[in-house]
Amino acid sequence: MWRRYRPLRIISPIAFLLIWEAVVRLGEVNPLLVPAPASVLRTMFDMTIDGRLPWAIAVSLHRVLQGFIYGSVLGIGLGLLVGWFRPFEDAVDPLVGAIYPIPKSALFPLFILWFGLGETSKVITIMIGVVFLVLINTVTGVKAIDPVLLKAARDLGANRRQTFMKVVIPGALPNIFTGLRLGAGMALILVFITEIEATKAGLGFLLWESYQLLLVKQVFGCTIAFGILGILTTWILQWLEKVLCPWRRV
Amino acid sequence: MPIVLHIKDIRKVWHIERTKEQVVALDGISLDVERGEFLVLVGPSGCGKSTLLQIIAGLENPASGGIELSKSLDGHKETGMVFQEYALFPWRTVLENIVFGPEVRSVPKVEREANAQRLIELVRLRGFEHRYPHELSGGMRQRVALARALANDPAVLCFDEPLASLDAQTRKVLQVELVRIWQETKRTFIYVTHALDEAVLLGDRVVLFTARPGRIKEIVPVRLPRPRTITGKQEVELLEYLSERIRDEVERSLKAEGLT
Repeated sequence: MWRRYRPLRIISPIAFLLIWEAVVRLGEVNPLLVPAPASVLRTMFDMTIDGRLPWAIAVSLHRVLQGFIYGSVLGIGLGLLVGWFRPFEDAVDPLVGAIYPIPKSALFPLFILWFGLGETSKVITIMIGVVFLVLINTVTGVKAIDPVLLKAARDLGANRRQTFMKVVIPGALPNIFTGLRLGAGMALILVFITEIEATKAGLGFLLWESYQLLLVKQVFGCTIAFGILGILTTWILQWLEKVLCPWRRV
Repeated sequence: MPIVLHIKDIRKVWHIERTKEQVVALDGISLDVERGEFLVLVGPSGCGKSTLLQIIAGLENPASGGIELSKSLDGHKETGMVFQEYALFPWRTVLENIVFGPEVRSVPKVEREANAQRLIELVRLRGFEHRYPHELSGGMRQRVALARALANDPAVLCFDEPLASLDAQTRKVLQVELVRIWQETKRTFIYVTHALDEAVLLGDRVVLFTARPGRIKEIVPVRLPRPRTITGKQEVELLEYLSERIRDEVERSLKAEGLT
């Protein structure tokens, strides 16, 4: 990845931050609406010291992880069955087709009515968002397995169960990871939406509260924290993929 | 030589769903294969020679007719297939690919890996046991595929144009290797190709197919000493004879596809 040194990749973001800082200091924009990067960093530091930012991140991360893990397990399991067994496909396909186009955030009010204002409605909203992306990509992964591999497995004496365990699952793994990456992004979107209303904790709540109090630096700080969470989840999933799919040329 | 495989009056029909057409791929195929022989099937593309191979390997069912395979001594699967596309499992290393067959038959790990090591020696892949398929050249991949098929200890090995995706140099090397491995393992090889030079270099007998519907046009015994060279006088004569015989069939199949 780092084999070729490409200086522009480092210069470009630094230049962007420097120009931003300069524009604010020269008084070209209102610092109350667009604070300088250095002052945002300062605010983030303060929020970290007084514990508000770490606590908010911990609360949100807990919700994201629960929803993501439930959604992934359900999505992978169901996706393998739907992709491999025709009756499952016939049973599940129309339901997926009907529910998938609905923005998952639109289901949140219903879940509040059904499961109350607590954690459950949030976790389920996130789970539903994750499940579809993982499911669809897992099904794609199963269907994309080269038929000659299935033939080879059969020729070598594998029965249907062995083919499923030793060919279908590893064969679908790369696409499953695509689903997991998309699902992680969806989980972050949904955790923010579910934390706007009806909660007193979490990164989304902190961001929304800061906005309502017009604490723009804090809004920026929370936004950046969300971004960092996004990058971290991507890295963790990439690492996991490398460990579980060592045969993949990345 | 005892007969290892008895093919009796095989017919295969493809049903094309969209046009409701029926295409006769194979018709009236009867053939006896001797134990330990190197049998080459050649014919114009679309003549059904690969389909026949799939039927022999039990991967396709004939419309009528059947095959009788004498059981190998210990009752293992009697056939093993080597595909043109290698068909290696990308997530398994060389060693893990080779043990796949014994693994699904629950052969103890120690035993199947010892056997795999022996096969790695046979196909000359020592030092590459822990590579993944994408880290190997095409020729090496096909060596792995051959070792994997041999690991099940089949009486008959089926080759479906195994060298067709390889460059000319690698093909030459592997043609020699195939003969060596055939001689060392004393298995029956059934080898589908469209390359006549391969038929001359490898086969004990060459089965010529007609264009679709595939029928056996002629069975040509090759009584040339090994090792053979493609430039040898007798080899060249045989090659000319085979290309003469197959020319009409190629033209017929081109005509059928509206290409001439």
